[in-house]
Amino acid sequence: MFEILEHPADIGFRTFGGTLEELFANAAVALISIACEIDDVAPRIEYALSATGTDHESLLVSWLGEVLYWFDGKRIALREFRVTHLAPDGIRAAAWGEPRDAQRHRSKLMVKAVTWHQLRIARGDSGWMAEVYLDI
Amino acid sequence: MPVEIRIKAQIEAIDAWRYRIARDERRGMRTDVLVYASAALMEQIRKDLSLEQAMNVATLPGIAGHSLAMPDIHQGYGFPIGGVAAMDFDDGVVSPGGVGFDINCGVRLVRTTLEAGDVRPKLRELIDQIFRDVPCGAGGAGFVRIGLQDLGRVLARGAGWMVENGFGEERDARFAEAGGALEGADAAAVSARAKERGLPQLGTLGSGNHFLEVQYVEEIHDADAARAFGIAAGQVVVLIHSGSRGLGHQVCTDYVAEMNKVMPRHGITLPDRQLACCPIRAPEGQAYLGAMCAAANFAWANRQGIMHFLRGAFRRVFGDATRLDLIYDVCHNIAKRERYEVEGRKRDLLVHRKGATRAFPAGHREIPADYRHVGQPVFVPGSMGTASWVLVGAEGAMRETFGSVCHGAGRLMSRTAVRKGRDARQEAKKLEDAGILVRSETRDGILEELPEAYKNVDEVIEVVHCAGLARKVARLRPMGVIKG
Repeated sequence: MFEILEHPADIGFRTFGGTLEELFANAAVALISIACEIDDVAPRIEYALSATGTDHESLLVSWLGEVLYWFDGKRIALREFRVTHLAPDGIRAAAWGEPRDAQRHRSKLMVKAVTWHQLRIARGDSGWMAEVYLDI
Repeated sequence: MPVEIRIKAQIEAIDAWRYRIARDERRGMRTDVLVYASAALMEQIRKDLSLEQAMNVATLPGIAGHSLAMPDIHQGYGFPIGGVAAMDFDDGVVSPGGVGFDINCGVRLVRTTLEAGDVRPKLRELIDQIFRDVPCGAGGAGFVRIGLQDLGRVLARGAGWMVENGFGEERDARFAEAGGALEGADAAAVSARAKERGLPQLGTLGSGNHFLEVQYVEEIHDADAARAFGIAAGQVVVLIHSGSRGLGHQVCTDYVAEMNKVMPRHGITLPDRQLACCPIRAPEGQAYLGAMCAAANFAWANRQGIMHFLRGAFRRVFGDATRLDLIYDVCHNIAKRERYEVEGRKRDLLVHRKGATRAFPAGHREIPADYRHVGQPVFVPGSMGTASWVLVGAEGAMRETFGSVCHGAGRLMSRTAVRKGRDARQEAKKLEDAGILVRSETRDGILEELPEAYKNVDEVIEVVHCAGLARKVARLRPMGVIKG
């Protein structure tokens, strides 16, 4: 669903989606997969996430910032995402996961933030593609 | 990682330690880029986007002097890591990306009353004890439990609040840069989200390139400065590298978004949105600076907390007579208001140090009185398992680099590249065979920070020493490492 992009100090990912909604959901899965073993997370509780932006790029940064805030601030590990509303100025989504548990959820990289560095959203013949770099 | 040379610009050698990229108006550059490097380091530096990023920094409104690149420079996002940019305080801009996501990421060096020979027989016990007492924070909260009201006091008073509340000794706060707290912190400018992320993380090391290393002094290069800093050959010291944790990361995230929104209003267009900035004098610029100072104070409090737990670990293993004293604490991700002469005129500047360390020379009033006759201590950690350095600030830094030098070895290889074909257990064993014990909270922590991923720190130090920005004082060798 995503591939890792190399950076001298940090890490990035490229992800795809048939629709913009899928693209944003897959980007969220990529972020969590870099931060922890996503297969350790049980999608047993539903949470409501939202973010705002001024265009698709700023919306993607702000959306992934929201997902990271839930992970690092509210300490909820999320596994599945369904985008219910998406416009350039806002996104709403349902997400499924559970409170983080150090015993069960293995940590991978501590993600500090989502950057604008070489951020790209593009539309191709078969759907959408995004490239995002994270600060580690 | 791409290996082709990306930039087309002319790079001109000024002397053995300095290179210039002349201002290119077509790129919107307002000034030259000045790179401090040897010929060998320059070959490495040219392989990533760092020089192009230093050229982008040269486009920022109000930049004074040159856009500076230290010898440990490597590609960041927006600003390069290992970059210095001074902005005119009245006409210039402030850029949260020019400080970085980890506001006041920095290094504190602690001296002990022990010799390497005292520690070696109990090294495993010591490292295990530190690993238990100093949490990395990946799995949850640290041991400093405070509420929101006290967090507000931490944001205002930094290391001083920690000391007053039992997390340190009176002397500790005085021996940190800026006394462990910047004036002008505005807790109200820090979002609720940033506070929520930071609250449980106070007193935790973090991950990425953050670490705590037990070292011994291998060589003394400047006996006077070493005496002033209280270090001698064979002595055990501890280096703590950490920052403002989730609180600082969120402050930067919030204000990059805010500045991207308001830039059009201020008529600013940039080659990279991660450089997002606004005039220092604008309300958004002032709000960011208030929040940045608060996050910087959180970072000093964080390193103070880590040192407090470190003291406990040493005393549990070596007894209550063991003393740990702070030598100094420097930040290497910060923007500070300082006064410098530029083209014959004294000016108030906001010096952005992104992966660069302040290095004031002897006599500067901001240096603690005990060190003022030799200069400010500067600590440059190498990669895990290699050497680290103690330097002292020199006059050249005041003339050329707005009182700044390098901050580390500088990364050479990406996280994915260094992992290829390597096994964490084998690599830990290799380090252990070389006399260095490593404990990590995450499996990948060890692999991604292997020495192969970094430039040679000795080459980096040679450049700043020979260019007259700072002088070598002591070389430190690792004995044990705690990693996130």
